[in-house]
Amino acid sequence: MVAVASPVKHAVRAEDVNLYYGTKHALKGVNFAAPSRQVTAMIGPSGCGKSSFLRCLNRMNDRIPGAKVTGKFEVAGMDPYAKNADLMRLRRAVGMLFQKPNPFPSSVFENIALAPSLHYGIKGSTLEGMVEETLKRAALWDEVKDHLRRSALELSGGQQQRLCLARMLAVEPEILLMDEPCSALDPISTGKIEDLISELSKDYTVLIVTHNLQQAHRVSSQLAFFMLGELVEMGDTEAVFESAQSEVTRDYLSGRFG
Amino acid sequence: MAVLGSSRPNQAELHGRDVRRLRHGKFLIGVATTVHYLVVAMTLALIGTILVKGLPAISWEFLTSYPAEGMTQGGIWPMLRGSILLMVGTLALTLPFGLLGGIWLAEYAGDGRMARTLRASIATLAGTPSIIFGLFGLAIFVLKLKLGTSLLAGWFTLALFSIPIVVLTTEQALRAVPESIEDGAIALGLSRWQTIWKVMLPSALPGVMTGLVLTVTRAAGEAPPILMTAAIYYSTEKLSLGWETLKKPVANLPYHLAEGYRQGGVIPEKIIWGTCLTLMLFVLTINLFAIVIRTRARKKAGW
Ligand SMILES: Nc1ncnc2c1ncn2[C@@H]1O[C@H](COP(=O)(O)OP(=O)(O)OP(=O)(O)O)[C@@H](O)[C@H]1O
Ligand SMILES: [Mg+2]
Repeated sequence: MVAVASPVKHAVRAEDVNLYYGTKHALKGVNFAAPSRQVTAMIGPSGCGKSSFLRCLNRMNDRIPGAKVTGKFEVAGMDPYAKNADLMRLRRAVGMLFQKPNPFPSSVFENIALAPSLHYGIKGSTLEGMVEETLKRAALWDEVKDHLRRSALELSGGQQQRLCLARMLAVEPEILLMDEPCSALDPISTGKIEDLISELSKDYTVLIVTHNLQQAHRVSSQLAFFMLGELVEMGDTEAVFESAQSEVTRDYLSGRFG
Repeated sequence: MAVLGSSRPNQAELHGRDVRRLRHGKFLIGVATTVHYLVVAMTLALIGTILVKGLPAISWEFLTSYPAEGMTQGGIWPMLRGSILLMVGTLALTLPFGLLGGIWLAEYAGDGRMARTLRASIATLAGTPSIIFGLFGLAIFVLKLKLGTSLLAGWFTLALFSIPIVVLTTEQALRAVPESIEDGAIALGLSRWQTIWKVMLPSALPGVMTGLVLTVTRAAGEAPPILMTAAIYYSTEKLSLGWETLKKPVANLPYHLAEGYRQGGVIPEKIIWGTCLTLMLFVLTINLFAIVIRTRARKKAGW
């Protein structure tokens, strides 16, 4: 390896993260770092805490009664858990795509326009331009350009998920958190989202949770393997797939459990 | 299938059970159908009677002219006008308080002891007979606050009657919005209030509207709350819109019906049936409006 003068920049850093749901210890001393403008995939058996970890980063765990988080964080240059943390600013910088597409029950246009108009006061033709641009970035424009005023709920599941992606991009985040974004989609829609993820990683830091190891292999350059609330292993995707340090990781990757 | 069938009930047994089950089902469906037709028949009889008896009385003249000859002739304009006035004011008062109350209960109150007690109290209020509100209005608004029997006291009383119901229907409508939608809004960096106002409420709008309009029109058709707070039997007064109007009692459709019937014989039956039909159409028209607006909202949302 060549000695690099400037160390890798990390968009997300978390040290010694513990998360409790009441008495349930869901994350145990997790140390995690995701480099900027790369795709980091998070894998692991069901219930190991992947979603919980993602939700720590934009503080969506706040919405779960009884959830308690400890640890040191740096997310998009902010400390999410600082006393004076600005949650709205944090969530503007850290977008989130959910497992099930969750468009608002309003028009395609309004879905995308709402947040930027509230956050940045964008109006009129500027707003229309930015809606068009974000829809293009989410590879949805050609399919919806003629029915921007139609309800978003009339779109297919795959289109809805890309709409949610566009909605997230319209807020101009730095980091994109995706929690199994393709698990409710057909293979073709999944392919479209995967292509998008690769494209987006040029400009954004992407963290994606997936149960699909091939998908993790295809889209990510970093891989994090969680198990029973612990981060077992983290490293270059290729390296981990080829020669994981830990035996559990090797077992999981070879499909022996999970 | 003799080989497989040995431990299974034979065809005849099976058939017998099926027939019994079928008969049982047919019987229940028969009962349900009969009840259904009965309800439809009763509704039709009700509407039919009112239509047949009321329609001959109704004319543009009837709706827009004042009573004459000691109520034995003329129209019911003051009563219709009074009902419209009562409803508009009630709506204006109920809308903000009912909405804010519902939002607060659904989004802020939580599930603690306080909230549960409060919710139970509101549910009790929502189920309280309207005459109780009438008495309360009389004691507080008319006498204590010295508003007298007046439009204003009527508004307050009817709003008091409507608000608890609207609070509950609004809360229900907001709670019916999927949590994933709220999560989506919060994750975009919207504030709590923006989430509620810009995402939750629009999503819940059809339900909120239904609750609001049904309640307020029901209130507008109620006689007991205004009996002692706002109603006057006989009014031929020309109405000037101004502060003074608020302090004056108003004639209105439900009270006119109640009183007209009680004073038996003074008001010709035809006029009473006409008033009856007018009240029904009044409520129907407003509900129709609400349905149109609601369908539009729903279509836009694609619910
Ligand atoms: N709201 C909650 N309240 C209590 N416990 C929870 C809650 N959410 C998750 N947990 C628990 O925390 C642990 C981690 O859950 P989490 O959803 O983060 O797992 P996951 O890795 O995302 O699983 P999956 O792959 O099935 O999505 C699980 O044991 C789960 O039961
Ligand atoms: Mg999960």
